[in-house]
Amino acid sequence: MSDNGERFTGHGEEWRDARLSAQDARTATSWVEAKIDKRALLTNKDRVEDVRDAMWQLEKDGEIIVHRVGDQHEPVMAKTLYGWDKKIPTNQLWHHKSCGQCGNIPGYPASLLWLMNQTETRYLDETDQTSCTAWNYHGSGIGNIVSLAAVFLRNFHQAYVSAQAEGLDPGYYYPLVHCGTSFGNYKEVRHFLMHSAELREQVRKILAKLDRLIDGKLLIPEEIVHYSEWLHVMRGRIADKQQIDASNIRVTIHPACHVYKMVPEDVIYDDDVLDGNRVAVSTGIMQEMGTQVIDYSTWYDCCGFGFRHIISEREFTRSFAIDRKIKVAVEEARADVMVGHDTGCITTLDKNQWIGKAVGKDYALPVLADCQVAALLCGAHPYKIVQMHWHASPFEDLLEKLGIDWQRAKAEFEGYLEEVAQGKIETLYEPRRAITSGEGYRP
Amino acid sequence: MTSSPQSGQRAVGKLADPIGADAPLDREALEEIFDDIRTHPRYDSELNGCLNCGICTATCPSAHYYDYSPREIVQLLWTENVEGIYDAMQEKIWACAQCYTCAARCPFGNSPGGLVMVMREVAIKHGMESAKEVLRPFSRVMLKVMTTGNQLAPNMITPEHFPDWGPNISKVEAPLNILRKAIPMPTLHTQETAWAVNLKTSIELYTIWEESGVLDQLETMDENLFDVIVDIMDEKREDYADWLEEQDDDDDDD
Repeated sequence: MSDNGERFTGHGEEWRDARLSAQDARTATSWVEAKIDKRALLTNKDRVEDVRDAMWQLEKDGEIIVHRVGDQHEPVMAKTLYGWDKKIPTNQLWHHKSCGQCGNIPGYPASLLWLMNQTETRYLDETDQTSCTAWNYHGSGIGNIVSLAAVFLRNFHQAYVSAQAEGLDPGYYYPLVHCGTSFGNYKEVRHFLMHSAELREQVRKILAKLDRLIDGKLLIPEEIVHYSEWLHVMRGRIADKQQIDASNIRVTIHPACHVYKMVPEDVIYDDDVLDGNRVAVSTGIMQEMGTQVIDYSTWYDCCGFGFRHIISEREFTRSFAIDRKIKVAVEEARADVMVGHDTGCITTLDKNQWIGKAVGKDYALPVLADCQVAALLCGAHPYKIVQMHWHASPFEDLLEKLGIDWQRAKAEFEGYLEEVAQGKIETLYEPRRAITSGEGYRP
Repeated sequence: MTSSPQSGQRAVGKLADPIGADAPLDREALEEIFDDIRTHPRYDSELNGCLNCGICTATCPSAHYYDYSPREIVQLLWTENVEGIYDAMQEKIWACAQCYTCAARCPFGNSPGGLVMVMREVAIKHGMESAKEVLRPFSRVMLKVMTTGNQLAPNMITPEHFPDWGPNISKVEAPLNILRKAIPMPTLHTQETAWAVNLKTSIELYTIWEESGVLDQLETMDENLFDVIVDIMDEKREDYADWLEEQDDDDDDD
């Protein structure tokens, strides 16, 4: 307001103040918030196409071969943003690992594999896989659409042929992508590949050099599937294995930008999960396992990871993470835990809380991946399997609230470390399966 | 951020008035940069029009903290404001957090985040000093991903590199190699890479870097890093060739 009492509103001369009381303004705002269909914010587009139509046409034209989600993969149908079907394979899965998860929060993939063991899901975790390289690309700009596409199809080709190392047919395993950025990036790249003959030709030449073509053609996956989608369609079967009651736990979900904002038309929405207004993954399994999922006003915000920022502009990353996500989850939603489904988000939201103490922002909110919470509730060991010790924010209160004796579990793990030092290592699968070619491979 | 001027380029910090007469580079050079942006394979699918509605900026995390607006980026490109584009490439494009919230929300189906990636690629192609400055702290990640196929390794996460993450990388005290072997996935019993990567795999990735022009990008940005990477990978290729030769010898013996 200026000195003469004039208000500058930015709405032009015709604008008139409604002069609502504070109470009426709050009521009006609440009405609008209740009426907004949050899904509509993503669907107000003119140009939306199902890229799979172009994919089938290219296969018909003899340009590509599609790696199908077949009956052997025991698919479950899910509905995406526009109500399209997406086939989610539930068995015979090839783990496309995440560099950030494996390097930094290894209980994330370990919990997923443990859940697969519990549900008798066959899988392959092997050494013939690269990072998707998209973190590097989005952070630095080094890389390009050709390199990203070639990496995508190289890794997915390996997923296709990997079973031959075990004497099985190609296509036996279907790739399951762990990282949200890999998932978003691969889908974005698939779109460009389906629409550019020039890009396909450039990539074909590179993959020919690597002997990564099938009958001289590019191999394109029918679906690009994120692990959280597997978890979502398996939520009933996983909940059947639940051992720990979680009805007293207040959960806030942090959905990952590269999972649901990048290529949004391919993301699962389920009418039974928040009326289909929010992406269904993670929320669905948390509800299925009986936790209280609490909405909060900055649900839509990113975590602050920023790709480049987490390395070299950390003041942005930690300020955004604390002020826009963690603080809101604690003060507004009174959350016991924040649950996510992506590498960068879990890392950012978990690791950047400690420094908040320096400015009196000591929120201490545990941050875990959905599969870690699911594994804990199904009785996985908090340290040996869920590997909680790599998480920076305090999680001990959460475990106590769940009735888990973390001190005993920690002591057990410390005892196990002594066995590890003597070479007595427990693994989720037979280690020699991890090597499918080259040095160390045994047919 | 500071930057020293290249020949023919003005110093960062003295940003030009996009509609004024004080052009930062001659018109031809500015148009060459814009041409590289406009003809980038992503460009047409990322820019469809703009009504200046500002939904993208309203929802942008970086706009909270930086002098950065995705709406401004789209407008500069849509109106082909080559001076403004050049200015934005000095600093603003590096503020984008690449969350793609702008893309998800844009009623026109634009992807301001995707356009920023096109501009970053072009900034690198032209060896802009601003890009070199911004990317210096990224070289450790670059070295890792170029030579191993993994972007991150457990031994890169230390309190020295991440002092603001607190004093303990692990809340159970033990040597890193023991903690890693206590992860129940055999592929993760590593310290130098996030998972064990087959030698052939990392060489295949390096071939992709070579064939797709990424190594050329790197050479433009950091010649020393480029030399280190080439040396490491030459050695790896020799190791792999030796191994293949041994296999042939074994087969002959059989």
